[in-house]
Amino acid sequence: MGMPNLGRFSDPSILILASLAGGTKHGYAIMEDIETFAGMRPGPGTLYGAIARLEEYGLIEPLPSEERRRPYRLTAVGITFLREQLSSLETFAAMGLRRLASI
Amino acid sequence: MSIEKYLLRLYPRIWRARYEEELLAVLESCPLSFPDTIDMLLGALDAHLHPYLGAMGLSLYERMKQMLSLLRRSLLTMFCSSIGFMLAGVGFQKMNEYDDFTKAAQTITLVGLSFHLILIGAVVLFLAVLGAGLPIASAIIESALRQKRYGSVFLLAVPLLAFAVFLLTTLLLETILGPGNHLSPGWRLFLERGVFLGVLLAAAIAGTGALCFAVARSQISEELFRFALLLSIPATISMVLILLAIFVWGLSLRSSVPQLFSSNAGIFASSTAGTWLGIVIAMTITIVIAVVSLVRGLSARSALRSTAA
Repeated sequence: MGMPNLGRFSDPSILILASLAGGTKHGYAIMEDIETFAGMRPGPGTLYGAIARLEEYGLIEPLPSEERRRPYRLTAVGITFLREQLSSLETFAAMGLRRLASI
Repeated sequence: MSIEKYLLRLYPRIWRARYEEELLAVLESCPLSFPDTIDMLLGALDAHLHPYLGAMGLSLYERMKQMLSLLRRSLLTMFCSSIGFMLAGVGFQKMNEYDDFTKAAQTITLVGLSFHLILIGAVVLFLAVLGAGLPIASAIIESALRQKRYGSVFLLAVPLLAFAVFLLTTLLLETILGPGNHLSPGWRLFLERGVFLGVLLAAAIAGTGALCFAVARSQISEELFRFALLLSIPATISMVLILLAIFVWGLSLRSSVPQLFSSNAGIFASSTAGTWLGIVIAMTITIVIAVVSLVRGLSARSALRSTAA
């Protein structure tokens, strides 16, 4: 399967995937978790636009609802996708730091 | 009803069926700020432009049915907006029948060039609508004959009947308003503008509505809708081209012949600038509707393709 194109939702999507890498969470918990580790809170429209895309591409899956809240978890495809994205970010960050060190 | 529920009402039905309850639970946990409200509005627009979002929970059959219905609705909306666009275009054409405008198009390069671009765009638009519509009309007739539901064939004839009524009304008005009439200025104005415009709009609405109804109640294959969607791309591009050309036409007329632009040579002796601006606004609105419908249609088409695969 080719890597999905998440368009302008790619940043929130990575943040959601990173949040779910820490365990299953529902929408509000994802929002709070992202605020804790990334210092920004995605708006509700952006959050659910990204969740809908991630679900559509099979990167996350919903679990049975708990009252009105529905938790989500990463799928195997989602784990692979997140790993690839973070690895490329790591390579990029290492290259940037190396160049900064030479200044 | 709370503002959160009003905002959620702006989302498409399929999306709401899947995410409304949980998003409402999120919104109840945190107070809705102004940026969040804007974010929700943008989210609603995004959900409308990508109508497959939220359809994950549906069965394969239901998903395909929903996307096909969406493709059909998008095409019908595009058709209605193109008719609205053409009506505004007819207004522009009527204005240009006056000698002063014909002369301006012949003597001022930019006015003449933009007028020719408008004509080319109009031909492309007409051919694209006709090319998309004829196979669908043929499928409607075939479906009507097969199912013995002849009402659909009658619906296809409504635009022709509406046009005939419009022509008869115009002839009648010419007779009534001809030389030697003893009508008061009030009655003249009512017949010349009110009745003429009323019949024109009624004919356009009746014809367009009948065609849309005929498409909605007939069995038409997905391939024909896909083909029509393909043709709606050049149709939308030509609408944008025409609008730009009309915009340039107005600006160049304003700078080259300011006395004509500021005169009352518009439709029904109204202000030229006002008529031009009205036409530009009407065309912009119809183009926005057409572009949104085109994006929705393309999105539904791609969802249909991936679902079938």
